[in-house]
Amino acid sequence: MTNPTISKQEVRFRLKSNQEYSQASFAGIVSLALGFVLLLNSYVPGDGSFKPAVLIASIAYFAFALLELAVWALIRNDLIRSGAIRRSTRMLGYVLLLSILTANVFVATMAFQLIKQKKSAAYTLAVYSLLTTLLVFAVSALNLFKPYVANGFLIGMFLLIVAAILQLAALLLVAKHADKAVMPRWMGLIAGILILTSVSGNLFALFLGLLLIAKLRDKGYSSGSKLGEVVERLSRSSTSMLGLLFILFLLTLSITSYLTFDYGLAIENNYSLILQSPELAYPLGTDNFGRDLFSRIVFGARISLAVGLLSTLIPLLIGGVLGAVSGYYGRHTDNIIMRILDILYAIPGILLAIAIIAAFGASTVNLILALSVGAIPTYARTMRANVMLVSTLEYVQAARAFGSSDRTILFKHIVPNSIAPMIVKSTLTIGTVVISTSSLSYLGLGVEPHIPEWGNILKLGSAYLETHAFTAVYPGLAIIALVLSFNFLGDGLRDALDPKLD
Amino acid sequence: MKNKGKFAALVLLIFSIMLSACQLTTKKDVKESPAPTQGTVVDSNPVDIELLGMSSNEADLNIVRDQLTKNGFKVKLNIQADYGSYKSQQDAGNFDIALSSWTTVTGNPDYAVRSLFKTGGDYSILADPEIDKLIDAAGAQTPEQYTETYKQFEQQLVFDKAYIAPLYNSLKAQALNQDVLNKDSVRISKSRSLPWEDVDFKDTSKREKDALVLQSTMPTLTSLDPIKGNDGSINIINTNMYARLVNLTDDDKITSEGSLSLNHAIAEGNSDYYFILRDDINFAQIKNKLAADTGERVGADDVIFSLNRAKDKNSVPDHRTFTLHEHIKNVELVTDAAALEAVKLSGGSDTVKSALEQGLGTKISELVSDKKQANNKEGKYQVVKLTTTEPFPQVLNYLAHQSAGIVSKKQVESINTYDVAKFDVNKDIPYGDQNTVTEGNAYNNTLYTSGPYILSSKNDYEATFYKNPAYMTGTENEPNIANIKIRFIKDADSSLSALRSGEIHLYYGVSETKFDVVKGDSKLALQMVQSNAVSYLLFNTKNRPVAESADLRKAVLYSINQDEILAFYKGNKFKAFSTLSPIVNTGLELKADPAKAKEFLNAYKASK
Repeated sequence: MTNPTISKQEVRFRLKSNQEYSQASFAGIVSLALGFVLLLNSYVPGDGSFKPAVLIASIAYFAFALLELAVWALIRNDLIRSGAIRRSTRMLGYVLLLSILTANVFVATMAFQLIKQKKSAAYTLAVYSLLTTLLVFAVSALNLFKPYVANGFLIGMFLLIVAAILQLAALLLVAKHADKAVMPRWMGLIAGILILTSVSGNLFALFLGLLLIAKLRDKGYSSGSKLGEVVERLSRSSTSMLGLLFILFLLTLSITSYLTFDYGLAIENNYSLILQSPELAYPLGTDNFGRDLFSRIVFGARISLAVGLLSTLIPLLIGGVLGAVSGYYGRHTDNIIMRILDILYAIPGILLAIAIIAAFGASTVNLILALSVGAIPTYARTMRANVMLVSTLEYVQAARAFGSSDRTILFKHIVPNSIAPMIVKSTLTIGTVVISTSSLSYLGLGVEPHIPEWGNILKLGSAYLETHAFTAVYPGLAIIALVLSFNFLGDGLRDALDPKLD
Repeated sequence: MKNKGKFAALVLLIFSIMLSACQLTTKKDVKESPAPTQGTVVDSNPVDIELLGMSSNEADLNIVRDQLTKNGFKVKLNIQADYGSYKSQQDAGNFDIALSSWTTVTGNPDYAVRSLFKTGGDYSILADPEIDKLIDAAGAQTPEQYTETYKQFEQQLVFDKAYIAPLYNSLKAQALNQDVLNKDSVRISKSRSLPWEDVDFKDTSKREKDALVLQSTMPTLTSLDPIKGNDGSINIINTNMYARLVNLTDDDKITSEGSLSLNHAIAEGNSDYYFILRDDINFAQIKNKLAADTGERVGADDVIFSLNRAKDKNSVPDHRTFTLHEHIKNVELVTDAAALEAVKLSGGSDTVKSALEQGLGTKISELVSDKKQANNKEGKYQVVKLTTTEPFPQVLNYLAHQSAGIVSKKQVESINTYDVAKFDVNKDIPYGDQNTVTEGNAYNNTLYTSGPYILSSKNDYEATFYKNPAYMTGTENEPNIANIKIRFIKDADSSLSALRSGEIHLYYGVSETKFDVVKGDSKLALQMVQSNAVSYLLFNTKNRPVAESADLRKAVLYSINQDEILAFYKGNKFKAFSTLSPIVNTGLELKADPAKAKEFLNAYKASK
């Protein structure tokens, strides 16, 4: 079968350099693992039977996993034989697309990649924006099984469907036109609509809209926008794209939950529903006060994300400015600012946070401040180092020779070129902040205990770990997934933003 | 082709959802907002209220918060991490309602109300002459009479004036390792602390060499002088280190069983109380970190000394229990046996002498004044007479409290040589100071204990106790186990884990949420009894709207739904009406009434 004329190294190179090949094996293995997890969950040790619903889901996951692995073998075969994937193999992608009905995003994203031979950044973004909306729709639709739904539920779901249709249309159009050097002018309208759908929190749509507009304005003169390049590089790593997908999924869910979820179910005690096991009406069960864990975790995402993003943004801005100023001016300015920050740096972060909260009381605002203050020095140090490096470059000297003011040089020439490591650092630290928030809440120092925050939910659940494990397992999984997602994204961004990897 | 198919699928999905929407119930359909009452325009803004509590009571706080929120309040939670910061917030007045709890450790109703609600009481923030009058009236009455008085008191306290809003009465629960301990030897009593001397191993050969390991959350012991503390850190310890004149049975009856007295008697008029003392208890001391017999008998002079200092506020600095003993007027030695014969028993025709002699092997032949002369076998006894300021039968309950523990006159007088008025914490070391038993430079154990056990030393990890070698030897009250250790484990979950792993043998205070776990573990046994602990909401009486407006307090009162609390605790709590409920059944019950709550809240808003 194998072509005897190609060497072993060449085979390895062909396989390694092909994106679909590695993605297929990743998606296949992950689906297989999930299938096993579901199978274990479906088993009822008491009477040796299986829960039918979970068992069906498990079988579906196994089926798609096997199919995926078959596709993987085909791809391998194609690559070794001809160095490219055959059309017939790519057509299998449409079959794999069905996996989206089982919420298997791993196989689904792979399928979208497989279908299209030449993948542009716009296509990837269009796929992910549609996936995000569909996932949010599916998760929100679980509310249908509740005794009642939120007042805005119908409007919310309708808007989600509209967004999904628009994004699907955009996906099809992008697949057809985006590769052309000059896109038709009406693509601008599509871009506008996409940006409009991004108010739901679906930033994929926003990025896609911006990308299309940039491309339209560019009129094919240059090789492509910076955003397009970053997305293209980022999309090479399936883990970081999945991370981004999960983060934006949560963001969209948190925003649309204002319409589609009922806060009462998450916060009002219901003594007739104490510690119910997961069922359709309460997909993740209820806690010891009879509150729906599913709703609590969805609303908890709002706080975790808000606290995570804000307490990263605040030190990013303050630390960034301080670092930039001290790195650019040097000498006494540098000494004074950095020594003060050194003092702050010497205090353990979580201890400082505990002290601030103990002094000013537990509330969300204080929590954000407490977590922000301790992180300022590290951002300042990173920024200072970057600015010191960039300010010695020749174009900065040139700008100075032209007589630009310090402020112009610093903020127009230096900062934009030293910002990339800061972005990477902040995505990597968001995960830590999410964990700190949950730890502080777990210690009773975060937000008020009845407010659905993941650390709070976990704390309540931990008392029932032995008797009703689901009360602790699900919030724990949510925390793990969010932190992992931010870390994967940070990793991917580091590669995507690093000019040395070009 | 494919795209068309997908479009069709989507359209189908939309249609199906739209169709199902026709049958969807939204929140609006379920919770119809009530039509505004005609005529009056009522402000529908929620009323702000600050709820203070400890993080250990988070579940209760959440239930109360939820109930108040549903009844038109906007609750601000003030949650403190420990009792110290909670108390300082309370003392500073930073609350509208404070989630409080009270355990009547003496088992008598007077204690359940006097220091809490009487003007000037230890823990009281109330000043209401009518309440004071009822407390005093009931105190002088017998159980048959006082139920009605306490009912009037409760009516005033809760329904009429709403000074408190009751929540629930708790169970007392302990779990023990039944593979190690003899389950029947571990008592659980309504009020009294666990008597260590009864506890025994399943395998009795372990008594001498193995230690019984118990658990406590507080490594800082307030004081080992019984009158200087009355809290969770020392109540069990001091109960087992000092004998008392009487004890409480498991259901709160007064008994001489296992106490310093062989018998006790109440004389006609309910003001004179007689106790006949045993001669088989010597004080124990610590020598080379081990327990030793001092050779000094626990006698009448020690009893008189101990009770006199217990009632005297100025006998020691930081006297924390004198209010419990304020009814003691005089304690004296009786040397004339004939005098006992002249006094009749309360409510009977027998003499005090015959009551004191009941069940004794040898009748009283002589009453001696020197404790060394006492010899029960020869009929030589010591008798102590206690007189109260007014007829007050409940005084016996206070004598059963750990603060009435008998200390050595000789030893305490030799240690407490400082002048109480000029006591200097940095220089003077009082008897029972925890630093003298804590490992380190300050270690200098000067304890003399009259009870079954003596504390040898402690650190932040554990405290070690040894059996008193001269405590009722040869009787059934002689301590079984030679060595007891108390592990200090702060966290409840860790304590339970320690019990399950065999690190500790008995865990007192298992929370309701863990009952299932304990029941599911075959080597553990769970013991429960209804306790005298009551949780309630205390209203602030100064500088807050709740202090001025009874309407506002009543709105809170009628928002409280005890059924929901019981449901949350799966029936492992009981309804309560006041701190008296576990002791006196007055028949009153608080029923949640949202309509009344609303009415009172509107009345409050109108009066603003």
